[in-house]
Amino acid sequence: MDRRLCMGTIGEPSMKQELYACITAAEFPAQALLRLRTDLESEPVAVLEGRAPLETVCSLNRPARLKGAALHMTRLEAEGIQDLRLLPRSEETETAARAALLECAAHFSPRIEDVSRGTACACVLDIAGTERLFGPPQTLAERLRASLASAGFRTSIAVSANFHTARLKAAATRGITVIPRQQESAALSKLPLSGLGLDAEPAETFAIWGIQTLGELAELPEIDLITRLGLQAAEWRSLALGALPHTFQPIEAEFALKEFCAFDTPVEQSDSLLFVAARMIDCLVARASTRAFALASLVLHMELEGGRVYRRVIRPATPTIDRKFLLKLLHLEIAAHPPQAAILLVALTAEAGQSSKVQLGLFAPQMPEPSRLDVTIARLKAIAGEDRVGSPVLEDTHRPGSFHLESFVVADSASALQAERPHLALRRVRPALPVRVELRDLKPVAFHDNQRRFKVAAAYGPWKTSGCWWSADGWNTEEWDVLAETTAGSVACLLVRNHQLSKNGRSVWQLEAYYD
Amino acid sequence: MTDGVGDAEYIELHTASAFSFLAAASQPEALAERAQQLNMPALALADRNGLYGIARFHTMAKKCGIRAHIGAEIAVNSFGSQLTPPSWLPHQFPAAPPRLLLLCASQAGYQNLCQLITRFKMREASKAEGAATLDDLEEFSAGLICLTGGDEGPLAATLAREGSAAARKHANRLASIYGRGNLYLELQRHHQREEECRNQSLLSLAGSLNLPVIATNGVRYATETDREILDVLTSIHHHTSLDRAGRLLSYNDARELRPAAHMAALFAYLPEAIANTRIVSDRLEFTLDNLGYEFPHAPVPDGDTMDSFLEKRVAEGVLKRYGSPAKRHLLAKARAQVAHELKLIAKLGFAGYFLIVWEVVRYCQQHGILAQGRGSAANSAVCYALEITAVDPVGMELLFERFLNENRGEWPDIDLDLPSGDQREQVIQHVYERYGQLGAAMTANVISYRGRSAAREVGKALGFDDDQLARLSGLVGHWEWRGENDTMARNFQQAGFDARHPRIAKYLDLCMRMQNLPRHLGQHSGGMVICAGMLNRVVPLERASMPGRTVIQWDKEDCADLGLIKVDLLGLGMMAVLKDCIEIIPTHYKQEIDLATLPEDPVVYQTLCKADTVGMFQVESRAQMASIPHNAPTRFYDLVVQVAIIRPGPIVGKMMHPYMRRRQGKEEVTYAHPSLEPVLKRTLGVPLFQEQLLRMAMTVASFTGAEAEELRRAVGMRRSMQRMKDLEGRLRDGMTRNGIGPEAQDNIVQGISSFAMYGFPESHAASFALIAYASAYLKVHYLAAFTCGLLNNQPMGFYSPAVLIKDAQRHGLRVRPICVQHSHWLCTLEPASGNLNLPGTLGAPGPSPLGTRASTNSQQPAEATLSLRIGLNYIKGLRQSSAAAILESRNHAGVFASIDDLAQRVPTLNRKELVALASAGALKALGEVAHRRDALWQVEQAGRPVGPLLRSAAPTSSAATPLRAMTTDERLAADYAGTGITTGPHPMAYQRESLRQQGILSAQDLETRTGTPHVRIAGRVICRQRPGTAKGFVFLSLEDETGIANIILTPDAFEQNRLVVTRTRFLIVAGKLQNQDGVVHVKAHTLTPLSAPTAGPDQARNFH
Repeated sequence: MDRRLCMGTIGEPSMKQELYACITAAEFPAQALLRLRTDLESEPVAVLEGRAPLETVCSLNRPARLKGAALHMTRLEAEGIQDLRLLPRSEETETAARAALLECAAHFSPRIEDVSRGTACACVLDIAGTERLFGPPQTLAERLRASLASAGFRTSIAVSANFHTARLKAAATRGITVIPRQQESAALSKLPLSGLGLDAEPAETFAIWGIQTLGELAELPEIDLITRLGLQAAEWRSLALGALPHTFQPIEAEFALKEFCAFDTPVEQSDSLLFVAARMIDCLVARASTRAFALASLVLHMELEGGRVYRRVIRPATPTIDRKFLLKLLHLEIAAHPPQAAILLVALTAEAGQSSKVQLGLFAPQMPEPSRLDVTIARLKAIAGEDRVGSPVLEDTHRPGSFHLESFVVADSASALQAERPHLALRRVRPALPVRVELRDLKPVAFHDNQRRFKVAAAYGPWKTSGCWWSADGWNTEEWDVLAETTAGSVACLLVRNHQLSKNGRSVWQLEAYYD
Repeated sequence: MTDGVGDAEYIELHTASAFSFLAAASQPEALAERAQQLNMPALALADRNGLYGIARFHTMAKKCGIRAHIGAEIAVNSFGSQLTPPSWLPHQFPAAPPRLLLLCASQAGYQNLCQLITRFKMREASKAEGAATLDDLEEFSAGLICLTGGDEGPLAATLAREGSAAARKHANRLASIYGRGNLYLELQRHHQREEECRNQSLLSLAGSLNLPVIATNGVRYATETDREILDVLTSIHHHTSLDRAGRLLSYNDARELRPAAHMAALFAYLPEAIANTRIVSDRLEFTLDNLGYEFPHAPVPDGDTMDSFLEKRVAEGVLKRYGSPAKRHLLAKARAQVAHELKLIAKLGFAGYFLIVWEVVRYCQQHGILAQGRGSAANSAVCYALEITAVDPVGMELLFERFLNENRGEWPDIDLDLPSGDQREQVIQHVYERYGQLGAAMTANVISYRGRSAAREVGKALGFDDDQLARLSGLVGHWEWRGENDTMARNFQQAGFDARHPRIAKYLDLCMRMQNLPRHLGQHSGGMVICAGMLNRVVPLERASMPGRTVIQWDKEDCADLGLIKVDLLGLGMMAVLKDCIEIIPTHYKQEIDLATLPEDPVVYQTLCKADTVGMFQVESRAQMASIPHNAPTRFYDLVVQVAIIRPGPIVGKMMHPYMRRRQGKEEVTYAHPSLEPVLKRTLGVPLFQEQLLRMAMTVASFTGAEAEELRRAVGMRRSMQRMKDLEGRLRDGMTRNGIGPEAQDNIVQGISSFAMYGFPESHAASFALIAYASAYLKVHYLAAFTCGLLNNQPMGFYSPAVLIKDAQRHGLRVRPICVQHSHWLCTLEPASGNLNLPGTLGAPGPSPLGTRASTNSQQPAEATLSLRIGLNYIKGLRQSSAAAILESRNHAGVFASIDDLAQRVPTLNRKELVALASAGALKALGEVAHRRDALWQVEQAGRPVGPLLRSAAPTSSAATPLRAMTTDERLAADYAGTGITTGPHPMAYQRESLRQQGILSAQDLETRTGTPHVRIAGRVICRQRPGTAKGFVFLSLEDETGIANIILTPDAFEQNRLVVTRTRFLIVAGKLQNQDGVVHVKAHTLTPLSAPTAGPDQARNFH
């Protein structure tokens, strides 16, 4: 950015002078939710964030504030305010609203820098040289604000030749402010020091010095200030004077890997679809490759006849540019989950990732090529599900059969396998088989699995375990090791009585496993 | 529950209570009650590494009619570590030594167990769990029966890790220590597979070694629902949440106290394991009734017995106390009284105890430490003669029987008040030195879960974040009075928690169930048990957190229940103030002062009558101020009554108002029977003191002193209805014999019943009244010294230093601000002449700091020449070592020339400390400092010195500060934020003009207000009270520059203004003025925050 000394008044058209317009939309979480809900426009509304039951108010509109609502109130406190509407915070809505706001702003300048802080959405537009298009700054600001208002945003706008002056002024005032050149310091002088967002220690020092506004800060002698508070103080003072230069960092156009194809006639054959998809993958890989990226994931989005939507995500174990492999995964996915109607439209979105590189060692043992192992795992995941492939790891809980899967890792040595091991193996029945159990003196004497009747020759138990009583996820089970006899012979098995799953007040019995 | 003959076969011998601290979940009382419900004839309590809960257990078991067996789980570090899950299972178990269960079969066994625990606890350098060695077990094995424990025992771990050969070795070792007949292999069945496997191994071991087996359940809670509490305690113990605790939590809920039939069914295959519980129970002959405690012995010269030695010392004391002409008329009476007392003391064998306390008092006298006995000991002429107490029981006709009588189980209890702080510690250390580490120890203080701590720790266990917990714990009320709305549920709601949510509901439920469960063991503030070298055979001793202190495992109630004698060495802030005054007054006033001979001074009583009592001992509270003008004390005994009457007892017993009415002549003085006139005359016919109850019974029913004391206890404790009935019958019989009619009898019985529970000991009141009078005398005559003492011994009393300073200023004391050139670490007195830095003269001039009342007070001549300099200790954030460095530099090289000079000469001062000094105005006397902000501007540079290399190149600062001087509000805010006090005008003084224009009155205006009863008043809230006896009424004290105004809120008004009342520092109160005999209140109906003053101390003192 050319930072030449700017002279003259702000109204003078000049291509060489810096000029910025800052837009601030305060209480953005509330605004984002309300911009499309005109029915709630004049209602008191507060937005809650956090996990239930610990939600707190993070944003609210003016009617809500007038009703007595305030930030950081808990849900219960907010519910105590009559007629206050409580909405949950929605990141998706805010992202969409932010995109809409930026799109609106982009009509006035392609160069936009995001300066959002806290719950406010703010951006600064580089509007130097736009006078001929939109008129003087005041006119531009009015048109910009009107345009944003029609998109459903209440904003404040400040125009200044200094980037930070525009930013600070827009955050602290309402409506439109156009700051003439050389008047930056005066325009900022009444603003509170808190606008600078200082750390606690300097903020405390300024407070005890009695420095409350930017104007008071600006009046302090620069050298004395630096000797007391360090070089950062010079920057704060320049900010307060409206003289701190800024290197503009415009938001770059989003690098989106997305291909889209609408069919003239509904497609019913998956081969036809794969033909198109192969072409789309080629394009995506080519575009990613030009930026030295690989594809980390593919999202297949299809619209089907009857208004239904089909969506699958394919995530290879490592980012890849192997077209055939990606197509194979897509094929497997569609084969595993065939669409239930003819396809009207297909969109393929990819997420870019760094391509994987593996340095092979000269003396490293012969092992499958990591990429091949990845492909195998990816294929397995594509078939079994993301969370169903890996190494099982026991969890630190008494809950029976509790484990999770972690990614496969190649063990450094075999020693890890030498650790103490349980001696007995169980053959688990998955899913567990519901059985009806006959009891005598609270002990099982026989059970039926809807096909056969097993007579219990010996029963050992009950082995009781329970836990997680503080959450809805609790368990309370009773296990019996039984020696069951049928005409075919005897079998040792594990019966489980689940007290937590009781239906109609009766516990549920299941055949859980066979002893090997 | 099941009954039956078979049930009684099983006795649970392995039960831990919540006194295993975070390892078990039920109170000992709950376990005993549960055993009674289950028809279990006996139960053994064995907590982890201690006997913490046995006193309560023993008492409750007696009540429940079950035998209480005593034992402990003892950690032993010679058997490796406890059983943990196998390495292939993820878990978080820390390594811990396994624990054996030792049960006391005989008194010798109990004494060995106490010594064993003491041995390994005292081996630790600081407070710690500790563990015994095999040598320890061997040394203290006699009289104990050993059970090998469940999963926490050594055999479980050894079998799992090393196999049966190693387990056999350990079992043999234990058998050699305890003898084959005294070692039982313990079997438990909690529905776990691993446990069954272990049981099989143990059975095989028992068979091969010919050792008996025994069944237990390793009980950790009374009922299965308490498993939840145990899980929460486990999370707290391991500093984790329930979600993360994993295998640390219980496997199931099978560790409850099980019915005998249930255990019998579980061990049906092994009946001898059940039968052995009964056999072992029968062998456990020891109970706490047979503790083996003996009174301490005091060393006496050859040729003397303790009794003869005591008699001689008392005779000397009597002569000293009553030999003066003023008291000579009491000499004969005193001699008769001490003879009576000595006879009883000799009969009960308590001479050693008196001599031990006498020795402590003598040590205090020799080392210039003020000490005064309080409590019922002041009834004893022997204590007075030995100079243990300062109240003359003969002159005041106090009743000895209230202190000591012949009844079995009545122990003397002497409390000594000492100056709080170092001197008290000195006395405690002297006792340790004299009686040995195993001869004396502090009594314990059991820290239990209360509303706030339960909410915080349960919340943490349930995974709530810190913000939420802070919000809740801030709201959990600590008012003494709890209205209908002050429930835990309400507190949760106010904190923004929705009690309808299942997780919150569970949180609330757990908090309620956690109430009163022990959290850990602390030490009592001053109770010492002395046992001349053998205390460790009576109760285990352990290290306290405080270096050099040891503590027994029982609290003071336990000691009382089990008959252990203790001496309370209590720290009393006012004693420290009195001691300071004794040192300051000769230096600054050039007068000697003897607290024992203070004259009865009308000026002091006039001050008391005006309720001008801020800072005075016992009579400064809001309620005291409201009642003292009614009582209008004119002599010492009036003050004794005054100290006693504002107590929950007299107020609840409805004695205060009749007394006050009679005192004011508004009600006739009458007696329930003419014979009671001598007893009740001093208190105008209204029984106020416990001694009067005793005397009433002795007078009307010819009770002996001991019987009367028994009656007081029976009525007061209301424990045994039958006992009370018997005593009442005897009382009525006695009255009938003495010719007292039925109507008078009813009146007397009614009178005794109504106040016995709440009455206050006259002797205790008299002891306190002595200190109260001394404090009043010193405040009236030596205000500077007294205020200096008060400020140097904070925190103490009812008011914050800010209030004390304002009160002293209103009484004419010049208070000088903190100054780095003059202040010491503590507050000091200075001559008033010289360069006075009058408060309020910094920057803008302000109203007189003396306020309007100053002119009306008689200013003592001494105060005109003395002023009080606030010490550097009032600067928040200034380290004492830095202050010492300032003083050293100042003493060595004179005052500081500038801020740079200060920073260079005292390099230990860091930037934050310099800022704190500047912010508090302590640097304003330094050269080139124009005002406080100038100092702040300068210290920022002085606090960041330029290195020597660049010093010459450093830019020169402009001479004048660019910062403007602080406004009055800012200065006040800086004062309060930096020091908690201000020596300048009261914040309200700056508002006075504006308030006057609004028709808002000052505190002083209220006193002279006539006409309309509706007033408005404004001020700073210095005290909020909601006493338990006031039925939900709330009392506020509002301070302004003219004094303190009293505000009363009805429960309704409080509910309507709860937030304003509890959170606002400055208030405007509108209400009805009430002036009753000079006691002025405003009964508030509207409270609004006063926004104008921006400064004020962080909070008022709230009393509950």
